[in-house]
Amino acid sequence: MEALKLESVVKQYGDKTAVNGINLSVGQGEIYGLLGANGAGKTTTMRMVLGLIYPDEGTILYNGKPFNSGLQQIMGYLPEERGLYPKVKVSDQIVYLARLRGMSTSDADKSLRYWLDRFDVPEYYNKKIEELSKGNQQKMGFIAAVVHKPQILILDEAFSGLDPVNVELLKDTVRELRDQGTSILFSTHRMEHVEELCRQITILDRANTVVQGDIREIKNSYPREEVLLRTAGEVSGLEGITGVTAVERQERGYLLSISDIAAAQRILQLAIGQSEVEHFEIKEPTLNQIFIRAVGESHE
Amino acid sequence: MNKMGTIIGFTFKNKVKTKSFMITTLILVLLLSIGMNVPYMIKLFKGDDAATNITQVGVIAEEGNRTAELLKAYIPPEGLAKVTVNQYASVDNADLKKALDDGKVEGYLTFAEPTGEGIPSVTYHSEDGELKGDVQVYLQSALQQANTQLIVGDKLTQEQVAAMFAPVQIGTEQLSAGVDGGEATKEAPPIINYVIVYVLLILFFMSITMTGNMISAEITSEKSSRIMEILITSASPLTQMFGKVIGIFLVGLLQIGIIAAAVAANLLLPHNASILTDFDLDLGQFDISILLYGLVLYILGYFLYALMYAAVGSIVSRTEDLGQAIMPVLMLGFVNFYLPLFSISNADTTLIKVASYIPFTSPLSMLLRIGIGDVAIWEIIVSLLILLVTTFIFGWLAAKIYRTGVLMYGKRPTIKEIRKAMKAYKI
Repeated sequence: MEALKLESVVKQYGDKTAVNGINLSVGQGEIYGLLGANGAGKTTTMRMVLGLIYPDEGTILYNGKPFNSGLQQIMGYLPEERGLYPKVKVSDQIVYLARLRGMSTSDADKSLRYWLDRFDVPEYYNKKIEELSKGNQQKMGFIAAVVHKPQILILDEAFSGLDPVNVELLKDTVRELRDQGTSILFSTHRMEHVEELCRQITILDRANTVVQGDIREIKNSYPREEVLLRTAGEVSGLEGITGVTAVERQERGYLLSISDIAAAQRILQLAIGQSEVEHFEIKEPTLNQIFIRAVGESHE
Repeated sequence: MNKMGTIIGFTFKNKVKTKSFMITTLILVLLLSIGMNVPYMIKLFKGDDAATNITQVGVIAEEGNRTAELLKAYIPPEGLAKVTVNQYASVDNADLKKALDDGKVEGYLTFAEPTGEGIPSVTYHSEDGELKGDVQVYLQSALQQANTQLIVGDKLTQEQVAAMFAPVQIGTEQLSAGVDGGEATKEAPPIINYVIVYVLLILFFMSITMTGNMISAEITSEKSSRIMEILITSASPLTQMFGKVIGIFLVGLLQIGIIAAAVAANLLLPHNASILTDFDLDLGQFDISILLYGLVLYILGYFLYALMYAAVGSIVSRTEDLGQAIMPVLMLGFVNFYLPLFSISNADTTLIKVASYIPFTSPLSMLLRIGIGDVAIWEIIVSLLILLVTTFIFGWLAAKIYRTGVLMYGKRPTIKEIRKAMKAYKI
C-alpha cells in the first residue's frame, strides 16, 4: 500500500484550473519528484497533500486512509519560503513546532540537538533565525520539517539557495531518510537533483501532467539524439553521414545530433577509419532536455 | 487541548520577552508613579513657602486711621494666605523703605482722598507692579469686610459682619426614587466610584487596543513569514487562533496586574497616604463589585475585540497593509471608549443606556452605568448575555475567516471572495 496516493485530483481557483487531474503515488521509502515550471501547480498539489487546501475533485489517500488530523503528527513540510519566526530562537521555535506535532519537549530537544550536530552547527541552538544566513535558515527549516521524524515528508524547493557543499549534505540526509522508510514528495526545477534522488517523477505544465513515470523508462521512451565522439585526431566528413543533422566541435571531440539511431553506427565506422576512437557514447536524453521538450511542446 | 496549551505558552512567552512589551509596561508604570506623586511634590514645594513665609504688606495711613485699623484686625477665614499688614505714616517712611529694600515687605497700599462713605479707592504699590493671587484674595476680602464695617459703623459687631461674609453652604439630597417602584433613597455614588470607573475605562481601552494590535500583527507576520503554512499543518486553525487569543489575553492581564501593583505600591507610600483624604476619597466607600463586574466585562470585551483583530490579521498578507485594515475595528474601539468617557458626568442618558446593550460598546458603557449610573441587576445580566452570545458568534465567524484568510496571499481579498472561500472549509 502506498504511503501517499493521489487520484485524479483537481483544484480550481475561480475559472483558472491550478491542478488538472493529477495521479501519483509515493511508496514507503521512496523519493518522488514533482517537476514543473513556475506556476505549473507544484505548490498547489503539495498544499492539497498537506491538507492546507481541499481538492475540488479526486481523492488523496494516506496509507490508504483519507485526510485526518492524526496525519499532523506524521507529516513534515518544508515550504518554499523558509517559514520560521525571524525573531525567535532556533531552539524555542523548533521545539515548539515539534511539540505541536505531538512530541514531548525532551524528545524534541534531543532530536533538535541530533540534527544540529548532524549539520555540524550545534552553536545555532541559541541563535535567532534572523541572525543566520539564508542557507543556514534553510537548514533550520529543514530541521523543523524532520525534527518529529515524519513518515511523509513534503519538500518544496528544498535545495534552493544552498551552496554545493550544503546541497550535498542535504541530499545525503534526504537519502538517509528515504532509507529509513520515509516517503518523500520533492519538488524542484533543478533536474540534476531529481536524476540523483528520484525513481519516479511527474512533470507538470500549466496544471496538466505531461510526463509521468519511472525516470529510466521515460528516458528510454525518448529517442537518443546525441552522439558524443572523442578521437585522437581529426575526423572529416561527419556532416555527410545520412541521419546526422548537426555537428558541434567541442574542446576534445564532437557532439553530433542525429535523427536516426542507425546513424550512430555509421559515425563510429567513419571515425574508426580515420583516427583512434577514445570515447564513443550514444547519449540518453537528460531530464533537462525531456523537461524542455515536454513543457516546450505543450506551449507550442 | 494539549496543543492549545503549547500555543498559549509559546505566544505568552514570546510576547512577554519582546522589548516593546517591556518598554511599554515600564513607561506606563513610570508615568503612573510620577503622576501619583505629583500632588505630593506640589505640596512639598508649596509647603516651603506657605509655612515659613508670611507675606508682609504695608499700608500708608496716619495713626488712628479706621480703615487701616480694621485691615490690621481682619481675621481671615481658613484657607486664605497668611498676610500681616504693617502701618506706616507716609510713603517716605524710612522703615518702609528699608523693609522694601530687604524684601521683607512685598508692597504697600495707599488710599485716595475719601469721597463719600466707605473705603476710597485703593492702590497697591510694589517693585514689580504685580500683586500675587493669594495676597490679592486676602486683601480683597479684608478690604470688603472693612468697608462694610465702616459703613454700618457700630450697628453690627465684628462677629456679625464676619458671619455675613461666611459663604452659604448648599447641600444636596436626592428625593426618594418613586419611579422604580419606591426604592429606598439612593445616595449619589461616592467620588471614588468616578475615579475607579475612569481608571478602568482608560486601562481597559488601552489594554484591548494594545493586545488587539499585538494579535493581528502576530498573525499577519506569521502569514508573511509563511510559518503559517507549517502551523496550519501542525494544529487546527481554530486551536491556533484561540491559543493565540488566550496567550495574548494572559499578556494583557499580566500588564494590568503590573500596573495595578504599581498603583497599589504608590498608594502605600507613607507620604501618599494623605492624598486620598485630601481629595475626599474614601477607599472604604468603594464597592468591590465594580471591579468584579469590570473583570467580567473586560474578559468578554477583550475576546470580542481580540477575535475581530485576529480575523482582520488573517486576511492581510503584509504587515504594511495591516494599519489600514484594522481601522474599522479600531474605530469601534474608540466609540466603545469615548462614549462612556464623555458621559462620565451623566451616566443615565438614553445614549449610554442603548450603548450598554450593543455588544461592541457594552463592555465600557455598562461598566460606567454599574459604577456611576443607575442600573438594575437584570439589565446587567441581559447586557452580559448579549455580549456573551455575540462573542461566541464572532468566535465562530473569526475562525472561519481565519481558516480562509491565512492561506490567501496577494492582494487583500474582497468580502465576496472571502465569503466564497469560507464555504469551502468546515473550520
